[in-house]
Amino acid sequence: MHRLAITTVFLASTASAHANPVHGKLELPTTLPERPPPSVRGFVERVENPKKPIQGISVTPYLLVVLENDTSKADSPGQVKWELAGDSFTKPVLGAPVGAQVVVKNTSHVARTLVAVEDAKLIGNGLINPKVGEKSFTVSAAKVYTITDKDAPHLVGKVVVVASPYIANVSPEGKFELDAPEGSYKVRVFYKDHWLDQAESVTVVAKGKTEPTIKITSLAAPAAEKKP
Amino acid sequence: MFWSKIWFFLIAVAAVVALSFALVMPRPAQTASRNEETRRLTVACGVVNIVLEADARNRVELAGKFARNEDVERELADASAAATLDEKRMKQVRTVGEKVMEGIKGKRNPEWAIMVDKKGRAVARIRVEDTEFGDTLAGRPLVDDALAGYLRDDIWMFGRTTFLVAASPVVKGTEYVGAVVLGHKIDTEFAKKIVGKSLLVELGFYLPKDTIAATSPAALEQAPMTSRIGTLLGPDLSSDCSNDNNKPMPLTAGSDSYTALVSRLPGEAGARGAYFSVFSKQTAEVGFWDTVSGVTKDDLGFGSFPWILVGGLFVVVLGVGIFLMLFESDRPLKRLTAEAVRLAKGEVERLAEDAHPGKFGSIARSVNIHIDKLGREAKSAKKDLDQLLGPAPEGSLGTIDLLATALPSVRPGGPAPAITPPPISEFKFGDSGAMAARPPLPPARPAARPGTPPPVAPPPAPKTTDLLGGGFESAAAPRPSIGTASTPPLTLDDDILGGVGATPTPGPLPSAPVDPYFKSVFDQFLAVKKSCNEPTAGLTYEKFSEKLVKNRDDLIAKTGCREVKFTVYIKEGKAALKATPVKDE
Repeated sequence: MHRLAITTVFLASTASAHANPVHGKLELPTTLPERPPPSVRGFVERVENPKKPIQGISVTPYLLVVLENDTSKADSPGQVKWELAGDSFTKPVLGAPVGAQVVVKNTSHVARTLVAVEDAKLIGNGLINPKVGEKSFTVSAAKVYTITDKDAPHLVGKVVVVASPYIANVSPEGKFELDAPEGSYKVRVFYKDHWLDQAESVTVVAKGKTEPTIKITSLAAPAAEKKP
Repeated sequence: MFWSKIWFFLIAVAAVVALSFALVMPRPAQTASRNEETRRLTVACGVVNIVLEADARNRVELAGKFARNEDVERELADASAAATLDEKRMKQVRTVGEKVMEGIKGKRNPEWAIMVDKKGRAVARIRVEDTEFGDTLAGRPLVDDALAGYLRDDIWMFGRTTFLVAASPVVKGTEYVGAVVLGHKIDTEFAKKIVGKSLLVELGFYLPKDTIAATSPAALEQAPMTSRIGTLLGPDLSSDCSNDNNKPMPLTAGSDSYTALVSRLPGEAGARGAYFSVFSKQTAEVGFWDTVSGVTKDDLGFGSFPWILVGGLFVVVLGVGIFLMLFESDRPLKRLTAEAVRLAKGEVERLAEDAHPGKFGSIARSVNIHIDKLGREAKSAKKDLDQLLGPAPEGSLGTIDLLATALPSVRPGGPAPAITPPPISEFKFGDSGAMAARPPLPPARPAARPGTPPPVAPPPAPKTTDLLGGGFESAAAPRPSIGTASTPPLTLDDDILGGVGATPTPGPLPSAPVDPYFKSVFDQFLAVKKSCNEPTAGLTYEKFSEKLVKNRDDLIAKTGCREVKFTVYIKEGKAALKATPVKDE
């Protein structure tokens, strides 16, 4: 199944009036990161099954593409929906423009208490009830938030707040789609927990699709941003 | 006494050392008991880790078998291909899972199972929340690893319930189609299976501030254990049991004391602070009295207690003590006593100082010093007597008035100088043998008789007594003690007159040879009495001479003089008689 990355941003009225489709593709590096050692282990080390080699990790769910220029600020950021489907978010990395309201919907059968690691007051206290529960919070600054549940440390999602409404997740094939007004933009790519050191730019044309191909040379964090 | 004192000191030291040993001895036993307890807990902790690890391998293997079931592979492959999951599919997959669960043989049947498609969605749950489906389990490390192809185990928590989980990928042909997760509950039964019957400890699984399961209902205080867990670092959890920073700790549960050793649990639960603890009741502190009260009859039997050694030691110690007492105290005292008796009897003149050791020699020296002092005083008194009586007749030792209480007012050589009596010695011989040497007392004077003149009041103790007592050489005869001074002094006049009044002459006495000298003295005395108009009835020569002989003999015995000269004179208007010892030369 091809799951296209769908922007979750309700674009500002000024932007939507002159939006032009951008169907881009990320060319991922041939050498993908190795599966990290388990964050937690059991009484015994994990062992490979004897029938089939271990699958490589999927990086595309953790990629986010953002087009930015000096006029890209959203006048009316709107809401960004985020589904909590159980022990993980449907999107492990969520993009949101500055000022947007993030609405978390818990569709699992387990109640959760979410918290932003970087700002404990970002999300109000209280459980998000299972199945129908929702919790919303507004992101007011360009920043990366780590959302988790203290009772379920494995449940981690990133909210990437940017000063642009032109944000798109990436499909397993590396494709992304968004609408942006005509103009020249700087392409920024976020992976997992850091911005990639990309210096790409794209020009959105007034008529027809813009189909940029962004070559990702490395998914590693820039030296200055490398996390321990 | 030196060795006796040394022996007493040694016995006191030995007693103190023995008491110290008795008080200290329980401590090594207590320490050994604690060390054994520590060793037992450490071993048990390590064994529990090993058993949990072996159990995890079995569970992972069981998950692998579950995942290799063809029905499971088929159902998960179909579910993975579906865009959405519905209830019908869920029930279908659950039925397959139930059959597989029922087919599992063995004692470690899983509590539940969850079947996950390759997208990480829970397709069906068997025996746990079995109406739920469609939620995403991907994101949990165990599920992510299983979907990637790994077999592994973990510890999950559902609310307050903790499960040991194992997962295996499900591979259909060449495709990963999902994963199977099996859960085993950590409960009391499981804890009891882990410790078995050989570890002899209790086992508990804990979360911070919460007990998951334990073999004992004892509610151990968890704060110290949680605090200890916080200090355990490093990835190797199996080394927790032998970590130098993780020694068994004392804990309480109600009024009971326990010793516990903690070790971290792995997995998700471990990341939330879960741990297990092996613990056992503390061995009671055993003090001296507890040790004594714990002694049984068997402990004191001949087979287990060295009665012969202890008895022999007691006899040796007692024997040495008695020997030293005899050697250093009793025997010297007995020798000194015997010699003092001989001294009192006059068999020896002085105590042999060198023959008596230590303090006894000091006593002998003190006695000898006093004897020497008395000797010097006797010589001084004799010198005074000569001065008092003036030049004695040739061979005389001086004159002793047998009757008077005072010296004659007129005597040869002029008036007598004042005499200072010698000091009364305070020395007394306690031995009754000294008293045995005392001459027998004369018969008591009878009370006043009718028809007889009133008795002459007994004169005060004549100085003759003192003079005699102090004047004789100590070696010559045993001297009566001063205590005998209360006895009325023997006086010739008393005896002669008493004899007249008390016992009338029953008849003519048997005739004895008449001593011309005594007869002459008797005649003089009789004449003087008559001249003084004193009664002479009952005064016979035989009694008179008998008394003179006795007094003469006494004086000779006491003064060592050759002869005694008797002189009759008038004293205060009455006839009196005095005896004068005559010296040899």
